[in-house]
Amino acid sequence: MNTFIKRSLAVVLPLTLLGLSCSKNNPDNNADNSTLKTEVLANISANVCAASYEDMYAKTQELQAAVTALNITTNDDNLATARVKWKAIRTTWEQSEAWLFGPVESENIDPRIDTWPVDFNALETILNSNDVLNEAYVDGLDDALKGFHPIEYLLWGQNGAKTAAQLKPREKDFLAALTQNLVKLSKEVRDNWTNGYTAQLANAGKGSGEFTTQQAAFVQIADAMAGICGEVADSKLKEPFDAQDPMLEESPFAKNSITDFTNNIKGILAIYQGRFAADGKGIEDVVRANNLSLDAEIKSKHAAAIAALGAIDKPFGEAIVSEQSKVQNAMTKITELAEVLDSKLKPFLVQYTK
Amino acid sequence: MRKTTIAILFILATMVALQVACRKADSVSPDDNPDSEWLSGGSQTAFDEGGGAFSHAFATLPANLLRVHEIGDGQFNATFVSAPAPLNPGLGPIFNNVACSSCHVSDGRGKVPGLGESAANMLFRLSIPGEGEHGNPVPVPGYGDQLQTRALLGKTREGDIAITYTETTYKFADGATYKLRAPTYTFTALYTAMPGNVMLSPRVAAPVFGLGLLEAITDGTILANADPDDADGDGISGKANMVWDVLKNKKVLGRFGWKANQPSLLQQVAAAYNGDIGITNSLFPKESSEGQTQFDSDPNSKSYELTDSLLHSVQFYVRTLSVPARRNAADNKVIAGKGLFRSAGCIKCHKADIRTGVDVSLPQVSNQLIHPYTDLLLHDMGAGLADNRPDFMASGTEWRTAPLWGIGLTQKVNGHTNFLHDGRARNIIEAIMWHGGEAASAKNKVNNMSKTERDALVAFVESL
Repeated sequence: MNTFIKRSLAVVLPLTLLGLSCSKNNPDNNADNSTLKTEVLANISANVCAASYEDMYAKTQELQAAVTALNITTNDDNLATARVKWKAIRTTWEQSEAWLFGPVESENIDPRIDTWPVDFNALETILNSNDVLNEAYVDGLDDALKGFHPIEYLLWGQNGAKTAAQLKPREKDFLAALTQNLVKLSKEVRDNWTNGYTAQLANAGKGSGEFTTQQAAFVQIADAMAGICGEVADSKLKEPFDAQDPMLEESPFAKNSITDFTNNIKGILAIYQGRFAADGKGIEDVVRANNLSLDAEIKSKHAAAIAALGAIDKPFGEAIVSEQSKVQNAMTKITELAEVLDSKLKPFLVQYTK
Repeated sequence: MRKTTIAILFILATMVALQVACRKADSVSPDDNPDSEWLSGGSQTAFDEGGGAFSHAFATLPANLLRVHEIGDGQFNATFVSAPAPLNPGLGPIFNNVACSSCHVSDGRGKVPGLGESAANMLFRLSIPGEGEHGNPVPVPGYGDQLQTRALLGKTREGDIAITYTETTYKFADGATYKLRAPTYTFTALYTAMPGNVMLSPRVAAPVFGLGLLEAITDGTILANADPDDADGDGISGKANMVWDVLKNKKVLGRFGWKANQPSLLQQVAAAYNGDIGITNSLFPKESSEGQTQFDSDPNSKSYELTDSLLHSVQFYVRTLSVPARRNAADNKVIAGKGLFRSAGCIKCHKADIRTGVDVSLPQVSNQLIHPYTDLLLHDMGAGLADNRPDFMASGTEWRTAPLWGIGLTQKVNGHTNFLHDGRARNIIEAIMWHGGEAASAKNKVNNMSKTERDALVAFVESL
């Protein structure tokens, strides 16, 4: 799904201005601070962001292997394995939406792998056509016909109850082509990070053309963290909820939406703590060095948001109708987290990295 | 005075004193005064120089209006699919892209296609010679007024365009060289014959932030800068475009689009839905393919595909996107560049300061001193940039002055620096050196600058 990051800066501005005014006297601005900032950016760029795309690329290849196996031996076990692999990629991708900036945005990869809704009519036209279904063919299709959700549709079926016996030969061909395209695009993001963007972020303020100051990099990260809260609370949860329309759900066939949302929010903690594949320096370390109460507040709001999502025990499409107070509570808790990130963490980082 | 008032004044005075006491030349902050040149969008300025810099809602929107903005945001990003479908149906049958955000990536500027790529973030206006009943360009039979380069599966797209560039090396007065690439456009894969006298105008998607502020400038303010016959003899004319307003059913001042051919944000948005995505709406209720062979008289087309409420939410969304603040405005090089920008005469069309009018329907855009660096008027830009396709009052060599606010963040937000209406310029200096016509004198002054001066000029533009 295309992303729209949007946070009001009304609160940030006055605080920012105060922060700008007296930086010379700021005791934080010492050599240790500078080392820590550099360490944090180095760790986040390599071991969180780049690592997540490396992980996603590996998992798309696993899905491809599972789809190949399913196409050779079409049974329910192999279908189940492919579904597990699809969900595994989603786990990584949804977490990475908490750092949705850089090549995945500027190279327009996001809409090509994660557009919702699926164009059902066109999908049926393709399946009933004589077109050769290969990766090049998929690459030329519109966004609503490729990426995660058409694959999800083919693996689960409209109502989520598809059996392997129901997989038609053309569906298998299309599944293979879609998966191969996903592998290619995942590799593209991975390569964009490892071949340059990782260094751009790590070297912010030290020769990076993308981030001329470390402050710009920290602000970008804080904006992305708050931005995913906004997207989950104000869009992914709110739009289906307000409309009372399960058709607006994000991953409806696999009934994976709550997991998707939870992983979006988990991604915030991953980049905050600098902990994805391995544990390293994160935003947490700069906050804890100066403001333990802010650190505690971020973590408690984050835990509350995760718990509120966890309390929704029905598939999201049902929950918007039958568990309205739980869905409302999740939106509230995520919005509270967004407010801390936007109105406290971001100004803190602006001042700290001045 | 009551004690609390005195206390507050004391605190304020202390804060001001602190700010002044520790201010250095390079730490001038945007709060110097509310009309500060740092605040490109007046009070609707966003402080973000990252990838999301063009995507901030006005900071002063109350919660209920922020919600409308968010709904518009969702709709701006909504991907349309073929009908019938439960969600976002109505795409096509012919179209250029599937969502507003597909071309206006991150609310910013479209990228020109690389070699062999389809023109995804561009579109091509078409017409044949003559004038329509409202003075509008005459649509091409079988094609309409733009080329739809994509179609639903099973339908036929109208065609595509191949772009090739011819690169030429030029010299500045100091001997340093620069290269400009001139595009050539060739129709490919046309579904039916194109008349020989067709006129073609390429357009890249323009940024959509700050448009509500531009809309709030009164006609009188814009017209005050117009000088169509160059009565003052400064070599710069400035002409208003007068274009057709679908709702008002009359000609009004045009201010949006590369040729100022759209009068309002509502009409701009509605026309884009109709022409670019194939979505009918109350302003443009006919499918763009109507009258063409691939038009499919779908029963759906009897009602609008986009409701008025969603159309208005998108209008509100682009109306309430704030403008990024300037960066490095107090940098010595930037200050030097600003002087050169003025002395070269760039400032005559790229107007720095404009005050918006009062619009009681949206106080947020009212009475703001903004710094858009445009006069919103048409100027003759010379043969090099000409598309030779008149558009209402705009001649084939005239273009509307492009706003420069936010331009320095294009690389950050959009990952490229393709400028001008067709993205031919690969950076700011190329864009400057493409200027001709009325801008020839300014261009020549830049040509005669030293490298240090040119660098300063570019640094200034990049600070916007």
